[in-house]
Amino acid sequence: MDWAQLWTIVSAPDNVPIVAMLFLVPFFMWMGLRQARANDRLAEQLEGDPTLAKTHHRKTWPWKPHWSRELHVWPYLLRIEFLAVLIVTVILFVWSITLNAPLEEPANPNLTMNPSKAPWYFLGLQEMLVYFDPWIAGVVMPSLMLVGLMAFPYVDSNPLGVGYYTWKQRKVAIGAFLWGFIMWIALIFIGTFIRGPGWVWFWPGQTWDHNVQLYEINRDLPDIFGITSQPWKGIFGLLVVGAFYLIAGLAIHIVVTWSKFEKKIFERTTLLQYSVFQFFAITVLVSMPVKLLIRQLFRIKYVMVTPWFNI
Amino acid sequence: MADTTQSEQLEKRAPDTPELDPIADRSMSGALLISSLLLVVTLIWSLYDEVVGQRPWRSYQRDFVSKYGEYLETAKEQQGKSEAEIKSSPEYQELNQAYEEAAAAAKAKTDPIDEQGKRLDDKITAVTAPFTDARSWIVAKTYQLEVTESESAKSSLRAAIERKKQEKIDFTMPNDEGKEEKKSLTFPELETHYNSLRDEKARLGAERVQITQPRDAAQKKRDEYMQDHLGGLTAEQVAGLQRKVEDFKFEIKQINVGGVVIDRCESCHLGVREPIKLTKKNMGWTDGEDPAEDAAAAAFVSHPNKELLKTHDPDRFGCSTCHGGNGRGTTSVEKGHGRYKHWLWPMYYKENVEAGCNQCHNRDRVLQGADLLNRGKNLFQVRGCAGCHRYEAFDREADALSNARQSIKTLELERTDRGREYEQTKAEAGAASTKEEDVPKLLKKLDAIRQMISQVDARVDEFDLQAKYLMQDVKKIGPNLKEIKAKLRKDWIPVWLSDPQAFRPGTKMPTFRLEDDEIKAVSAFLWQSALEVKLPSQPQGDAAHGKELFKTLGCLGCHSINGQAIDMGNQVIGGDFAANLSRVGEKANYDYIVRWVHNPRQRLAPYSPTLKRDLTPADYKKKNLPFVFDDDHSKSPVDGRELQIQNMTVMPNFRLSDQDAHDIATFLTMQKRPGVEYRNASFLDDASLKSRGEQLVRRYGCAACHEIKGMEDEQRIGTELTLEGSKPIERLDFALLQEPAMRGEDPITGADLNREGREGWYDHKGFFENKLRSPGIYDRGKVKSADERLRMPNIYLPESDVTALTTFLLGSVETNLPQSMRYNPSGGKKSVQDGWWVVQKYNCMGCHNVLVGQDSILMGLPMYQSADGKEQLPPRLTSEGARVNPDWLLRFLKDPSQATPAERASLAQAVSGHAQAGGDDWTASLALHAQPGANRNGVRRYLKARMPTFNFSPNELQALVNFFMGASSQAQPYIPERLDPLAADEQGMARALFSSNAAPCLKCHMTGDPAHDARATAPNFLLAPERLKPAWTRRWLLDPQLISPGTSMPSDLFKRDQAHDRWVFNGPTPPAFQTYEKDHVDLLVRYMFQISLEEQKRLGTGGGAPSAAPAPASAGNKTASIDRKTRRLSSRGPIAAIRALPGKSD
Repeated sequence: MDWAQLWTIVSAPDNVPIVAMLFLVPFFMWMGLRQARANDRLAEQLEGDPTLAKTHHRKTWPWKPHWSRELHVWPYLLRIEFLAVLIVTVILFVWSITLNAPLEEPANPNLTMNPSKAPWYFLGLQEMLVYFDPWIAGVVMPSLMLVGLMAFPYVDSNPLGVGYYTWKQRKVAIGAFLWGFIMWIALIFIGTFIRGPGWVWFWPGQTWDHNVQLYEINRDLPDIFGITSQPWKGIFGLLVVGAFYLIAGLAIHIVVTWSKFEKKIFERTTLLQYSVFQFFAITVLVSMPVKLLIRQLFRIKYVMVTPWFNI
Repeated sequence: MADTTQSEQLEKRAPDTPELDPIADRSMSGALLISSLLLVVTLIWSLYDEVVGQRPWRSYQRDFVSKYGEYLETAKEQQGKSEAEIKSSPEYQELNQAYEEAAAAAKAKTDPIDEQGKRLDDKITAVTAPFTDARSWIVAKTYQLEVTESESAKSSLRAAIERKKQEKIDFTMPNDEGKEEKKSLTFPELETHYNSLRDEKARLGAERVQITQPRDAAQKKRDEYMQDHLGGLTAEQVAGLQRKVEDFKFEIKQINVGGVVIDRCESCHLGVREPIKLTKKNMGWTDGEDPAEDAAAAAFVSHPNKELLKTHDPDRFGCSTCHGGNGRGTTSVEKGHGRYKHWLWPMYYKENVEAGCNQCHNRDRVLQGADLLNRGKNLFQVRGCAGCHRYEAFDREADALSNARQSIKTLELERTDRGREYEQTKAEAGAASTKEEDVPKLLKKLDAIRQMISQVDARVDEFDLQAKYLMQDVKKIGPNLKEIKAKLRKDWIPVWLSDPQAFRPGTKMPTFRLEDDEIKAVSAFLWQSALEVKLPSQPQGDAAHGKELFKTLGCLGCHSINGQAIDMGNQVIGGDFAANLSRVGEKANYDYIVRWVHNPRQRLAPYSPTLKRDLTPADYKKKNLPFVFDDDHSKSPVDGRELQIQNMTVMPNFRLSDQDAHDIATFLTMQKRPGVEYRNASFLDDASLKSRGEQLVRRYGCAACHEIKGMEDEQRIGTELTLEGSKPIERLDFALLQEPAMRGEDPITGADLNREGREGWYDHKGFFENKLRSPGIYDRGKVKSADERLRMPNIYLPESDVTALTTFLLGSVETNLPQSMRYNPSGGKKSVQDGWWVVQKYNCMGCHNVLVGQDSILMGLPMYQSADGKEQLPPRLTSEGARVNPDWLLRFLKDPSQATPAERASLAQAVSGHAQAGGDDWTASLALHAQPGANRNGVRRYLKARMPTFNFSPNELQALVNFFMGASSQAQPYIPERLDPLAADEQGMARALFSSNAAPCLKCHMTGDPAHDARATAPNFLLAPERLKPAWTRRWLLDPQLISPGTSMPSDLFKRDQAHDRWVFNGPTPPAFQTYEKDHVDLLVRYMFQISLEEQKRLGTGGGAPSAAPAPASAGNKTASIDRKTRRLSSRGPIAAIRALPGKSD
């Protein structure tokens, strides 16, 4: 194990945010879920006790005598936010005093640095380039993610779980989001800690050797089946991709209609809403890890090869 | 109870213990207070960081001010003491008194003037206000007048201005007694009055300067005396520095050179340009006790080379220009010195500091003051680095040659095209279909094409001639391997290849990392590709005479040999420019050495670059030509192109007689260890090894240094190094050593480099040093086949040479400095810059003293240490350009034997004689050719060391002549000065001087009489008119010691005659001189430049000048010893010495 190298990577000023995220993401997830669990319990209680439901006035706190029914934003919310502002300001001050942003050497058009990495928040995108062709990874996927994030509120037909933490009432929405978010963090993690010179996969602790030599041959899926010429490669790929959409859609359908509650929500959903949801869920949430896995496990580069783009 | 919920229970309990609201009832003031305090603390911290943390130079400046102030205090005391001493000296007292008297005299006159001036000032002050007030009013109105459009407005403005000018202006002004007086003047009157007052003031000022002049002159004289005798600053100047320190401004000290170079180095290095010399000791050096103090002390010293700063003013060049580093960085030492990852130009380490010179002086072959850099450049050339590694300016002839050949090819293509065009046009003109009126146009075009073809031909000829010259100049570091069959012992070759250093320590032949079978293959290939000739066997010579010649001819200027061989101790002796000959007898054949020593440039066969093969007698026979090739027969009989007719060696031709060549060769073949036998190497004839050998020879680039058959046009195999110093570090291949090196470990020993305080690996310096020490080092740990290994051979450099080469490579950078900062000389300086390449190429400095302060190799040899030995040293060339006529110098360098036309004619005959004898076989090329001006020097025939013939091409001749002229700041072209012919009486007087006993010129100078010349120690006067410059000759006669210290030419021959402002002979003169009013030196110079052979003979035969005292020749064979005595005494006045000699009559 090359601890010195690992420490160099972990302690690089550039990597402070992603290192912090390794701790912050689980922490806040835990916090949110804890709250959600408490609320879910309360909901259960209220459902079983109509009298309590009547007197209960705050969504998350059970009612107590002498408590006012409502609390105002000022000062009760804003003072907490102000405290947060103070703490974050202190952190930013200390951070900027102690860790200088290094001004690097002038760019040399004849010499690309190796590894040449995007800023940490773009490393997920950069890592995606390994799995998709640049047009898909750089343009199509990010656009779909943004559009999908905008579209999801409109395909949501669940009236419950708005304005408070809950898990039981929004399993699908929270699960889908966490799935996507953790995947994103994972890609950034890979880009930061795993990818060394030549964008080669180094396990944490392995030396990032500039002289590393690898034997890795990536094939297109049609090649494995002996299909080497167009348009058959494209057609074959299209069939496979189509099959993937069918299977993935089915799987998602099974998941989102798993319980009675979900079935009820599903019934409230229109066909347009549902198909939009399915499209984004398959294209963004499922295809990404599937592609990552077949690339890493089976060394498959593209599934569908056309003269214009590859998937 | 099953239906009792938890909240009901709570409800019931509530009145007893009212629970607090977790949101509304919780106070956050504690948290807010703490956070606010934290915020305040971080704010303070950030301010502190901004003001102190990011500005470490502030503490340096405070430190400097206190230490410098302290030092100045002591310096002032010390200087004050020595100043007081000087002040008490009578000379100073005298000067001071003169000053005081002058000051008193001046004061008497200046006082009334000052009084007058004061009154005048008051008047001017009084007038100025009303005058400028009126003037501004008028100027403003005039402007309005200029810009106003309407005529009526214009005329009213004009009238207003006129009125204003007529208006009386009232003001008060002091009169001469100082009383206020009322005055009333119009504007024009006021203006006149104002101007007259100012003129008066200017007149007074000029008068005052006139009066104080003697006082200022006396003061200057006194202060200069102080300055000259004090050494350093006066107490007053030190006090000035103290005041400067007291008013020290704490700020970033920045040099901004046109925005290109911005250096803030002096923000910490505050002592660099202080006028007082600051050493570490002055600035609180604790000698290792307190590292922080020591670091500060080292940072505050003055620049160690103030002279350098005078020519490279920091205000014009900055600091980082030469030293490297990040001149803008002020936040830490590391940042400022640029020793961090993101700064590409780190400061040079102290031992490599001269690398900084090369950025601007990259075209200088020799840069005065940068000895290490020069050494690096020398090594780069002499060790043959330039053979494999292209470096702009090195190996320029080979580059120019390939350009010339390329141009010839292009022109030939053009010629073919033109020919075709000509034929087509001709056909068109003659065709029946062509219209009548077009025919004249076509004929005109034909004419034009013909002329163009002839122009192309002329250009081809010119390039061909250039190619000839360049082929003459192009040199390879190693010997010609086409001739090894004639030259070498067969069995010796594999022994040599396996370890050249073992056979000849310090040789430039590097050791290739070859396996035994590879050595066999290489030897076999070389042996089998050599020319198949049998040299005629030469008779043995006299080794003792050969040894004498070897010692005295000047061989040791380039070659070294074991001292025992020439009876000079046990050390290796001689120059390291060429091979160490201690064991040459073990490797080479006698017949070949004779040939080589006789004329090293003589090839066995000429090489045709166009046919790409060596020509043979058969080629010549086809054209019915004899097998003769030399400077005059350099065209190929096959295609008429220029041939390579010389060996590509820098070793010159010593014009030895055949007998001398035999003697030296006999001596050299005796240089071997007794009884050495090498293993039989019959495999050299094994044809099956040849192709493997050829592969290896190509792979390892042997042709970079050697001529090898079939590889004359081999490309360089190494990487180009012109800009190696600015190659990104990522491009330097550290291979497997990179990771540990980047971590700061020594990849070989595993030691932690950072902890030892030196980083020696992952930077350019580390890469170069380690590569030079062990060129195969970056193969460590790699699994490679023999054909993939690094090719650079081991060169076995001593550590100092590694530093020199590293310095040179570190300085080989791409510069972004403006042209104005770089050294691009013109005129004479450019000639010097270009000439150094030739001077160094042929190692002129092995025998001659070219630079003031430089010692030649010969000057260090034991036999040249005695007074007699010193006379045998080759002449100093430090003022050669001023001494000789450039036309003569060119002729001399072309043929140092100064052969007469008759000698040259007989030489030509000898060549054609060889041709007759040679016929169509090899004889003509194998025979020893007759030598031009055999066996003698051209000018100084009394010298045993010989100026050899270098076969310079006209290009190099011109470069050398220009070099010497430029080095002595001589204008080009040189137009000889006309000397007045001697009048009849002057002739007699000059003759008397020339042959007087006090200065018997012909005693030492050659006359052409062999018996006399054997004892002579100076050149013949007959050469003077075409060789020397009269102005130099005059200076030489006045004081030869000034020009050539240690010369046997006596000084003090003339003395100054103040009355007539001339120089007169410093000895007894005949009566004719009583009435002669002109300068005696001029007379003698004119005589020397007009002396004829008859005149010289007349003097030399002992007749002497009739009017002079008996000629010294009568002293007979005592002369020589007298001469020597004279010379030895020359230091205490030669005239006195001559007078003291026996047989002297006045």
